[in-house]
Amino acid sequence: MTAAAIPRRGDRTLPGPIEGGLEFLRLLSRRPSGLVGFAGIVFFLVLAFVAPIFVPNQESGDVNAIYQTPSAQHFLGTDNTGRDVLNQIVQGGKEIIGVALITAFLTTLVATVLGSVSALVGGRFDAALVGLADILLTVPPLIVLIVISALARPTNFLALALVLSLLGWAGLMRQVRAQVLTLKERDYVEAAKSLDLGLTHIVFREILPNMRSYIVIHFVLAMTGAIYAQVALIILGLVPFSGKNWALMLYFAQTQGAFYFRDAFWFVFSPIFAIILLQLSLVLFVNAMEDIFNPRLRSS
Amino acid sequence: MTPILSVRDLSIDYRTRRGPVHAVRDVSFDIEKGETVAIIGESGSGKTTLAVSFIRLSPRSARITKGQILYTNDRETVDIQTLPDDELRQYRWSECAMVFQAALNSFNPVINIWEQFADTARAHGMKDSAKIHARAQELLDLVHLDPDRILKAYPHELSGGMKQRVLIALSLLLEPQLIILDEPTTALDILTQRSIIDLLGQLRKKLGFSLIFISHDLSIAAELADRMITMYAGTIVERASVTDLFYRPRHPYSVGLLRAVPRVSGAMGSVASIPGSPPDLIRLPSGCTYVPRCPLAIAACAEREPDLVPVDTPNHEARCIRWKTVAEQVGTAEVAVAEKIATA
Amino acid sequence: MSVADSTVAGRAVIELDHVSRAFKVPGGTITAVDGVSLAIGAGEALCIVGESGCGKTTTGRMLAGILHPTSGRLLYEGEDVWRKKGNELSTFRRAVQLVHQDPYASLNPTRTIFQTLSAPLYRHKKAKGNRDATNRVRHLLDVVGLTPPDDFLGKYPHQLSGGQRQRVAIARALTVDPRVIVADEAVSMVDVSIRISLLNLLLGLRSEMGVSIVLITHDLAVARYFAREGRIGVMYLGRMVELGHSEALVSDPAHPYSAALIAAIPEADPRITRSKERVALKTAEVPSLLALPPGCTFHPRCPLAEPGLCDVQIPELLPLPADTPREVACHVAIRERRPAAELLA
Repeated sequence: MTAAAIPRRGDRTLPGPIEGGLEFLRLLSRRPSGLVGFAGIVFFLVLAFVAPIFVPNQESGDVNAIYQTPSAQHFLGTDNTGRDVLNQIVQGGKEIIGVALITAFLTTLVATVLGSVSALVGGRFDAALVGLADILLTVPPLIVLIVISALARPTNFLALALVLSLLGWAGLMRQVRAQVLTLKERDYVEAAKSLDLGLTHIVFREILPNMRSYIVIHFVLAMTGAIYAQVALIILGLVPFSGKNWALMLYFAQTQGAFYFRDAFWFVFSPIFAIILLQLSLVLFVNAMEDIFNPRLRSS
Repeated sequence: MTPILSVRDLSIDYRTRRGPVHAVRDVSFDIEKGETVAIIGESGSGKTTLAVSFIRLSPRSARITKGQILYTNDRETVDIQTLPDDELRQYRWSECAMVFQAALNSFNPVINIWEQFADTARAHGMKDSAKIHARAQELLDLVHLDPDRILKAYPHELSGGMKQRVLIALSLLLEPQLIILDEPTTALDILTQRSIIDLLGQLRKKLGFSLIFISHDLSIAAELADRMITMYAGTIVERASVTDLFYRPRHPYSVGLLRAVPRVSGAMGSVASIPGSPPDLIRLPSGCTYVPRCPLAIAACAEREPDLVPVDTPNHEARCIRWKTVAEQVGTAEVAVAEKIATA
Repeated sequence: MSVADSTVAGRAVIELDHVSRAFKVPGGTITAVDGVSLAIGAGEALCIVGESGCGKTTTGRMLAGILHPTSGRLLYEGEDVWRKKGNELSTFRRAVQLVHQDPYASLNPTRTIFQTLSAPLYRHKKAKGNRDATNRVRHLLDVVGLTPPDDFLGKYPHQLSGGQRQRVAIARALTVDPRVIVADEAVSMVDVSIRISLLNLLLGLRSEMGVSIVLITHDLAVARYFAREGRIGVMYLGRMVELGHSEALVSDPAHPYSAALIAAIPEADPRITRSKERVALKTAEVPSLLALPPGCTFHPRCPLAEPGLCDVQIPELLPLPADTPREVACHVAIRERRPAAELLA
């Protein structure tokens, strides 16, 4: 027999990180749009978290060079205080993407845990959670966000992420709950029960792996939602952020009247493009995910 | 007499990522007027692909690579493949109707049975509601249902057997000359199955249509068929009258299938499964496709795929170079194959 | 002496004692199983046969301890299972395993065959370490006829045929060394050409390991083949109407419903099937489970039904004096001391 046929212990027969990564790319390559999305995500992650290490933050502006059009010196022109727009784009992704990642992580975690527990425990606990989720779902999120932000004034991005995920878990929680409710009736879950494999095994080995695609997809969707929510709040001036941030660029562009200067085109549209391209990458990637997680397609 | 349906050298492929799946290969046969033919085979034998091609309902990934399907009525002979769309619509239902197994669950749940009849009738140019109503009543009566009650009922109010009857009645709406039934009784209970089989037998006598049914269930074929076609790996391996196929099979796969089905009445006989599984339809073996599972295979079998050749009984063909050996084993007496093999 | 006593007296592994099970549905409560008693002996092969809605699956699920009966007891080695707690209950759980009908739904699509089969081995300390588990899984695959086993270890369910998956499901049941396997329509979704080999596999487990097998099926021909040395129980609308040795039941059914069923079955033999004598029922309509008829639930359809008797009293499952012992729930057959098949002829 071949070495490959000897499975490793327990559940760890899944391929290692390198083979897994290669397999992931191979599957992704079947969906060119997914590959484009993936490349976009990698680009923005590098731009937001790696590039700032090498590009020094430019704090002060140059009053002699406001609203400049792109040139060799300033690839994307300058802003109302004469600061380089490209420099701000490089510096300004960290917070937006960071908040989106943390929000998506918290939202998905809370929703998955509450959704699974709710479905598995049932009874009053389930009814109470579903009721709470329904209340959250019926109120318009942006208005609540505005109210909360206005009252609580989240001053750092962790607080903002917390607020966003507190408002965002309900929809996914209901979906996870519905999924778990159907999955727990599957014959193989019943078999696991009668083989006395324990609740931990049933949840983590039988049920959750069948929701991987679901969870990853919703993680990415939660990111897109968090990005829009942040941008909206910041543009409305409800989050008193200082520092560099794409949305903040838009806020300043708006408050400083950059919209009325033709030469400010690059200043206004660079952050918009950055946001749109990031969102587009995420959406393209999500669309390709379904294929990647389908074991039927994995082997053929 | 010209056969009502004539299939000539028909081959159908499915496109897949791994390459073309040869689902139907060089299939030829004729259905005479008023005849009942059973096409039997297991999943993957190509029987369903074949049947849906008769009404040009193949999925998009399917492609007819070769051959013709000719339909003949009182006036003319048409090639189903080249039929223009408007004539195809006319052909479906008014010449040839197909009842799918899945159709039992495909009734529109929000409209009642009368509206299902009316919709189907109007889609085929019947305008007069009173006439449609009269026809629906007549047909439901024919399938032993109470027309007044059934026409008002919604699909969920009907049992599986009643739905199957309604489907049969619907298929008769435009007096088709050819009816194709896909696994007509598989999803039904025994007593219901029995009543549907009896009903089909009566209708066939009364209305004189030709009937093709495709099934993996040999017992329904034994009940209703005049002739039988056994399919394996996309092609016909044996073609015979129902008695010849059951008592004098000449292909080892037919023998295997007959032995694989236990019976309730009579001696149990020697019942056994066929070892192995059907071949990969993308990479077919070069010789006879049944070789890996065949107890009689010899070296020559793997060389080239045998032709469908006439055997010792009339109007009987088998795709096997060793049919004489099969004949020696099962003989000619009218005793079930399993019993013969048990006593041999 | 009843059939149950004669065959499994004192050594019943598992026993249903007057169990009933009701379900709440929109429109009321249905009694899916009504007062069924059934004892299964060690190493017995028994079939429960009936049409859809007869309660055979519910009965099987109660036997396997997956469904709690509404009333009545489930006994494992003479002890009431549902009074057990903790460890004892899980010992019982493992002793009775279920093999499901749909091989496409009974295996987790995200887990390889090795993962599926090794998890219970690790969990119940039947394997120590990877090498030991691999060897045991190989052995199990060999037992269920998936050879060479190494070809299957790393495969996912979708890479196997229906028959192969069903074999994996059987191997999975065997990981915990069960005393009883309840196979619910375990062959109805696999190709006809391989059904017998699956039945033979189950029968082999019975003869080689002494596992009792309860096969639930709608197909009397399959039941006859499978239980040829054992018993068949026929259910109708939640009640056991006949229980007896399989050949006697098939050739000379004692209950009018069994007789009608057997007469109606289409057979894979044109001569036999086209000349079968039918049993004419009074109506083809099956009563709704929401509104079961009083007395014997079969009386509205039964050609032997007697007004004032069958529509009033619920018949009990009683032994019918005959050459081969059997039990039947029919007032007329018991009174006439003859099987219904003879009374109908």
